[in-house]
Amino acid sequence: MVLKRFTLVPVLLMLAGCNITVLNPKSATGKDQAFLIWFSFGLMLIVLLVVFFLFFRFVATYRYTDKKANFIPEDVHGNKWLELTWTILPILLLIVLAVPTVAITYNQSPISEVLKKDEAVQIEVEAQQYQWTFTHEGGKTSNQALVIPEGKTIRLQLKSKDVIHSFWVPALGGKVDVMPHKDLYYEIKNPEVGTYHGKCAEYCGLEHAKMIFTAKVVTEEAYEQYVKE
Amino acid sequence: MQISMFNQTFELPSDVLAAWIFTIIAGGFVLLYVIKKKKLPLIWDYIRTTNHRKIGTLYILFGVVYFLRAGLDAVFIRLQLAFPDQSFWVFQQEKYNEVFTTHGTIMIFFSAMPILLGLMNVAVPLQIGARDLAFPFLNAVGFWLFFFGALFFNLAFFVNQAPSIGWTGYAPYSLNEYTPGVSTDYYVFGIQLSGLGTIFTALNLIVTIFRHRAPGMKLTRMPLFTWASLITSYLILIAFSVLAVALYLLMFDRLFGTAFFSGSEGDPVYWQHLFWIFGHPEVYILALPAFGIFSDIIPTFSSKRIFGYPTMVVSLALIGFLGFTVWAHHMFTVGLGPMANTFFALTTMTIAVPTGIKVFNWLFTIRGGLLRMTAPMLFALGFIPSFVMGGVTGVMLSVSAADFQFHDSHFVVAHFHYVIIASTIFGIFGGIYYWYPKITGYRLNEKLGKWHFWLFLIGFHLTFLPMHISGLQGMPRRVYTYGADEGLTGLNFTSTIGAFVMGAAVSIFLWNIVITHRRGVTVGADPWNGRTLEWTVDSPSPEHSFDPMPVVDQMDPFWYAKQEKRQLAICANPRPAPPDEQSMIPISMGLSLFVLAAALTYSLYWLAIAGGVGIFVLMAIRSWTDRTIIEEEEEA
Ligand code: HEM
Ligand SMILES: [Cu+2]
Ligand SMILES: [Cu+2]
Repeated sequence: MVLKRFTLVPVLLMLAGCNITVLNPKSATGKDQAFLIWFSFGLMLIVLLVVFFLFFRFVATYRYTDKKANFIPEDVHGNKWLELTWTILPILLLIVLAVPTVAITYNQSPISEVLKKDEAVQIEVEAQQYQWTFTHEGGKTSNQALVIPEGKTIRLQLKSKDVIHSFWVPALGGKVDVMPHKDLYYEIKNPEVGTYHGKCAEYCGLEHAKMIFTAKVVTEEAYEQYVKE
Repeated sequence: MQISMFNQTFELPSDVLAAWIFTIIAGGFVLLYVIKKKKLPLIWDYIRTTNHRKIGTLYILFGVVYFLRAGLDAVFIRLQLAFPDQSFWVFQQEKYNEVFTTHGTIMIFFSAMPILLGLMNVAVPLQIGARDLAFPFLNAVGFWLFFFGALFFNLAFFVNQAPSIGWTGYAPYSLNEYTPGVSTDYYVFGIQLSGLGTIFTALNLIVTIFRHRAPGMKLTRMPLFTWASLITSYLILIAFSVLAVALYLLMFDRLFGTAFFSGSEGDPVYWQHLFWIFGHPEVYILALPAFGIFSDIIPTFSSKRIFGYPTMVVSLALIGFLGFTVWAHHMFTVGLGPMANTFFALTTMTIAVPTGIKVFNWLFTIRGGLLRMTAPMLFALGFIPSFVMGGVTGVMLSVSAADFQFHDSHFVVAHFHYVIIASTIFGIFGGIYYWYPKITGYRLNEKLGKWHFWLFLIGFHLTFLPMHISGLQGMPRRVYTYGADEGLTGLNFTSTIGAFVMGAAVSIFLWNIVITHRRGVTVGADPWNGRTLEWTVDSPSPEHSFDPMPVVDQMDPFWYAKQEKRQLAICANPRPAPPDEQSMIPISMGLSLFVLAAALTYSLYWLAIAGGVGIFVLMAIRSWTDRTIIEEEEEA
């Protein structure tokens, strides 16, 4: 019974993967992150399966039965080679995981000066207790509703008026904190048209749960239109 | 409800009122029981005791009480989250924020930590052949500081001032500007008091383990639980000192107008660094003792020595050391930059290596053994797969770019409950079943123990497995509600059912304690066919243990002596036992600091000074009346 429940886990996850927001992202940024999640999950599944296999085998084989009542197990002190095996193999596994981790972390961390010059769509995000204000190039502002054009790189410049908040649109990418004392930057690359839930992900007080917004990705023409309105 | 008193009106919400009524009724019953059964002399004895087993018992007792309180908080959390747009009782907004704060804080500081310290108090001296901790008086002081710190923190709720800053207390939200009033001060001083006690106990354990081992008990022959306690004590010493500093700075910011965590000179990120330099080692402070417990339980019930003892010790130490190099993995999204993020991602991954070594060594201890499925063994076995499930999500979280998605979502809630419950809580339950005879002389009922285990295991997975998915589905942590259109309903409802299953399991555990004491069937010194020294002394352990003092000739000395049908050799003139005494000073010290904390919280500076003076007077009295010093001088 136990065995069955545990083997169900990965199956369930796979099935559910089809419509879980974060694993079904709508931007290049989110896709890189989803790739890392799947990749690390796959590697870890190897570990998990090995441990589960050994565990259930050993427990089933060596549990006490009345037949074995007088059996006294042989003392084993250890085994250098076995122990080396489960030291070195995990290290190799982690190196495999470390490479894309480092690559994508560097790739996704915007460096503010470089960004100033490029073609990104700039949006200022200002958070304060329980609301969001988005300011577009040209000065158009909106509350609780972020509108961005599809297919571009969106560069967010975030700052808070009071406590720490965190900007998160699960379908478009990871979160980034919104700090009171300094501006942070975050990039969402190549978003796809749609309307997505946005949230505050850092606990910020009474109505933290209700500090939500919508993120609407529209076509480029619609965006031009919107900014001019 | 509103109440008028001292010319002031207090708002008294129905949950606080219910707590008062419940506490008064329950307190009445306890009082009745105490008087009817003539337990007052016993309580009087425990108040003044400095004996390690009695102090350990007190730690465990109060840890369990607070586990129930924080568990009730968890049930309220789960009821509020059972359905979308739900309004359960009062637990929305402010009350929800309070309830997750108190749940987390109490579970960590006032339940898991004290129970572990209690088990160390009971078992470490017995495992190494020490007659008590090195400084019994200090041990009592440590306990009473925990007691009054926890009491102080818990009182906040009864005056409707429960803190609501999360167990992490992030600035600037925890500063005066955003949480004026006294609620956050309850958090600051409650933790500060008990943390100080924890540091004392850690020092005590270190000295005990180095100075009071039985003859022949070399470090390389020490049981792994004692090793784990030693390494944990070092972690406590460093981590809790950092926490103390952080809390002092926060106190100064809140009460005396400094600006360490805000303004142009200060920086809220400093708090996060300090907190996590404490906070990450803290999770190892919770986990390593549990690893130690399992490393003792598994060989005992496999009738086979631990596989790779030296590696087990080295990996404990490595985990402890590496635990100090990873704190900023909690801060990937605060803008430290790619360099710092990758550094902390890689250090975090390396911790998986020694942890993995331990898991495989446990597995190979089982291999070839003869597994007796007792209640402690079930918890140890249940720990292995459950903990590995939490471990692998830990590695996933260390992938810094992916953590931008995981961070502060229910995925993280799932992860840390998997690690903490599978290691610490399973370890605590396993340890309580295992050492219960040493504490009380009784053995807990095995059949109920099995029910407890299976229900708890099932409830635990049912509660927390769905949270991985709800996190990835976009549910942040610390939110009191979610929308019906977010695809979170089924997942959350499942979690809530799981929480009730766990609740049922804990009720069985309590019932088990009740009937075990009612039946009152005592067991002998060695009910489990044990391997280590604690099973050579009577159950419950006598106040003058190890008389005569055994000589240790190898690891698991008692087991091998039994195998070879011989007695352990005896040492004629052992090291003198630490002085045992009865004293009211430890509890008075706790009380003085309690007064100091309460006075500072309410800015009653004259009272604060009184509390501070009280502490110094008590120290002076102690110095003049300390028997150990007087006796040494007389001898000289
Ligand atoms: C017994 C069953 C338990 C249940 C059902 C449970 C449930 C929960 C839930 C649902 C949350 C998330 C609240 C939110 O973010 O909105 C939470 C938070 C937390 N839990 Fe538990 N929990 C349990 C046991 C434990 C134990 C044993 C510990 C530690 C020893 C623990 C430590 C924490 C901590 C530290 C938090 C974070 C609080 C915060 O966000 O400030 N929990 N728990
Ligand atoms: Cu928020
Ligand atoms: Cu950590």
